[in-house]
Amino acid sequence: MPKGNIINRDRFLENIRAKIGGIASDKPVEKPTWSVTPQRNVLEGYDQDQLITVLKDQCDNIHTDFFQTNVNELSATIESIMNQYQSKTVVYSEDKRFEETNISDFLAQLDSFKWDRLDRESSIKFAERAEIGITFSDITLAESGTVVLLNDKGQGRSVSLLPANYIAIIPKSTIVKRMTQATDYIHQKVENDENIASCINFITGPSNSADIEMNLVVGVHGPIRAAYIVVDDI
Amino acid sequence: MKVSFFITCLGDMFYVNAGKAAVELLERLGCEVDFPRAQTCCGQPAYNSGYRKETIEVAKHLIETFEHAEYVVGISGSCVYMIHEYTQLFEEGSDWQKRAIALKDKTYELTQFIVDVIGVDDVGASYQGVATYHTSCHMTRLLGVKEAPFRLLQNVKGLELVDLPNRHDCCGFGGTFSIKMSDISEQMVDEKVAHIEGTKAHLLLGADGSCLMNIGGRLSRNGSPVEVKHIAEILNSRGDV
Amino acid sequence: MPMHIGEKDFKKRVTKGIEDDFMRGAVRSAQGRLQDKRATAADELGDWEDWRTLGSEIRSHTIEHLDYYLNQLSEKVAELGGHVFFAETGEEANEYIQKIAKEKEAKKIAKSKSMVTEEISMNEALEEIGCEVIETDLGEYILQIDDHDPPSHIVAPALHKNKEQIRDVFNEKLGYLKTEKPEELALFAREKLREEFLSADLGITGCNFAVAESGSFALVTNEGNARMVSALPKTQITVMGMERIVPGWEELDVVVSLLTRAAVGQKLTSYITALTGPKQLEEADGPEEFHLVIVDNGRSKILGTEFQEALHCIRCAACINVCPVYRHVGGHAYGSIYPGPIGAVLSPLLSDYDEYKELPYASSLCGACTEVCPVKIPLHEQLIMHRRKMVEDEKRTTLSERVAMRGFEQLMNSASLYRTATKMAPFMSTPFARKQMITKGPGPLKHWTHARDFPKPENERFRDWFKNREKRGEQDAKR
Repeated sequence: MPKGNIINRDRFLENIRAKIGGIASDKPVEKPTWSVTPQRNVLEGYDQDQLITVLKDQCDNIHTDFFQTNVNELSATIESIMNQYQSKTVVYSEDKRFEETNISDFLAQLDSFKWDRLDRESSIKFAERAEIGITFSDITLAESGTVVLLNDKGQGRSVSLLPANYIAIIPKSTIVKRMTQATDYIHQKVENDENIASCINFITGPSNSADIEMNLVVGVHGPIRAAYIVVDDI
Repeated sequence: MKVSFFITCLGDMFYVNAGKAAVELLERLGCEVDFPRAQTCCGQPAYNSGYRKETIEVAKHLIETFEHAEYVVGISGSCVYMIHEYTQLFEEGSDWQKRAIALKDKTYELTQFIVDVIGVDDVGASYQGVATYHTSCHMTRLLGVKEAPFRLLQNVKGLELVDLPNRHDCCGFGGTFSIKMSDISEQMVDEKVAHIEGTKAHLLLGADGSCLMNIGGRLSRNGSPVEVKHIAEILNSRGDV
Repeated sequence: MPMHIGEKDFKKRVTKGIEDDFMRGAVRSAQGRLQDKRATAADELGDWEDWRTLGSEIRSHTIEHLDYYLNQLSEKVAELGGHVFFAETGEEANEYIQKIAKEKEAKKIAKSKSMVTEEISMNEALEEIGCEVIETDLGEYILQIDDHDPPSHIVAPALHKNKEQIRDVFNEKLGYLKTEKPEELALFAREKLREEFLSADLGITGCNFAVAESGSFALVTNEGNARMVSALPKTQITVMGMERIVPGWEELDVVVSLLTRAAVGQKLTSYITALTGPKQLEEADGPEEFHLVIVDNGRSKILGTEFQEALHCIRCAACINVCPVYRHVGGHAYGSIYPGPIGAVLSPLLSDYDEYKELPYASSLCGACTEVCPVKIPLHEQLIMHRRKMVEDEKRTTLSERVAMRGFEQLMNSASLYRTATKMAPFMSTPFARKQMITKGPGPLKHWTHARDFPKPENERFRDWFKNREKRGEQDAKR
């Protein structure tokens, strides 16, 4: 993609510089060493199984159904959730893990659609009519009960957004303590001059709002129900 | 221990009993109390209204007045905090700032002094009754004295202390705020009074004369039977239980 | 909506607020819930003060090097193919946004919640050129439907309305026929707005935090509307106040963690969406074209002054949620889209003292705001600073107040004058006193005695008692 335009920058930054007494310089600003780093102490020393317990408990706070299973039972678990949510039509992301776990075979038998990175119209249209969206989690944050989706290429932003129900499949190995570990990972990519996904979603349960008298309503623009499935051995 | 007593301007005129009780209490705890007669006001009304120049003059006067003291003990958390704020008034590293820091380091609110400096939690007081306690904002949040009054009150024989709901809320005094924004201040004190009356306590205690004057004034206007006393009066009380 | 809202006269706005029982009931219960949730979330962490310290350090550093980080941000966005427009004023920002809307022949614009776009009256500017702008945050949507009722809170804009009022508005304007249950109201809005998202030509978002190192933008929501706005329309414009930026992802983690806890007591909100440039070639959804508008609109006036810390604000509204003044008068009384303590600090800075001279005085300086601020802005001290400015630089206070303060200084500075005055006080006040209470005070005291009695000064001052006691030798007997 060609470089974008930058308009009015010099005058704008010159004004700021004059106010804060800075000087224009090509030298990068060094970040100070912060005096405290409490984010690094959260859940310190927890192993993967303890983190799963934290994640499970947090699911109660975020109105999310929690399941734990193994690869062999994964399709059956998805099927039972779909029954519970009375969902028949499925949209799922383009993600080789669907093939690796053979869920793609199971989904192929249903009224399903794999997100098509080259077909905007059909993909959005199907996602809009699908009753359930399924994605894998790329990084999972135990503390907050958050699945992080690095949405680029075939992953599709709409898969986890437009359908009324949403399932996130969480490989056990993706579980980390908190957002700190996810942002460390992303920061490292930036440091290494690698591309990061154009849309990184930190999703914590179904959508909700408290705009009416501070009463929590679950399900506003995004999904109304959400389920997490932790898979033991991928 | 030698204590120079800081009565505050409101205390000098309106809360004489609180001052008397505090002096007697300190003496009972073994302090030698003197009263520097040149003392006036801490300057907070000017400071909070943005009159810094005027505040500085008042602060200098108080610094001079208490310079000789070993400890300065005041009966209002808010005014004591104001003295601590003097250090911000003067130029960094100036002689006046050094003197302000010296004063800050030896100036305490009464309950803070008893608990933290004298090291006493039980002053041997007794008082029969049900009371609730108003945590004043400046003393709690800015001076940082949160526990001391409760530790002392819990050891008063015969006193039943009931929790005041929403105790973290301001009573609406705020110095000139109560005059300049009197309609808002009225709503705030009304809410505070409703919470106090809801506790069924017949006595309201506090460690700041100005808040007590505000809340007490509203209780009085409402014809409420709730009595208002400064914490020193209860801590100095040795009634039969 | 411009920054200034409602009636011009401050006193009238306050009276209107105080007399609005519906609003006050709604605000009281909302404040109660939000205070509890924030406190619980902070306690759970265990080292909340360390978090605040870190938040404060990050914000200080960023604002001290704002030129550097904005430059870095703009470079990164441009590298990714996005366009960046630096706008010194709201008008400049609006002209640019209008230009993009015209180029794209945009008829319908879906917008997620953004305070800065309210501040610069962006919606009105777009409506002028014939665009339909749809607010998609549920609270903002309710207000927009209700003939553009102004927001009264920066996180929960419709906090002043109860569910019955919302039901009636939906009924009157949109033919809604169901009950006042929040679930039913929200479902109705979901269906209405879903159509709008799918047919919008242009999406406009605000920005919670920009990340300089990668040219990314974090949008913090619970509803998912910002995701919709950034996934479906083919063109996206993000509008940010120039201070809403952090150096890198490490800092984003910290400020987001502080924001969601301080604002709503959540560990994270349902959606934190981090957008980096327009969509890439092999992506089906997301905007094909991305524009960033960085807005100054008075912010640079604050840089380098004693108010610089006000720019550290992360817009969590924790100060608003604990403020007792806000509770009694409501958000509209502030006359600004930025209400509460941070609004009282910020509004006179972004605008001027002519418009907002009363706000710095609309605080009892109780310090509750300063105590909860997750990035340690000394809010109540900034209010005192405003008062000082109005005294010293602007000479805005009344002559009588200045004379009184001069008198105060002289009185308190002179031990003998003070002694005389306090000695006279009981006699001076006798005519106004009934028993030991003054019920109708003279001069400024009449404001006090409107609702409260004022104690009559004691005949024997403390200093007299102490002196007499010394004379009688009582204290020796005690020891």
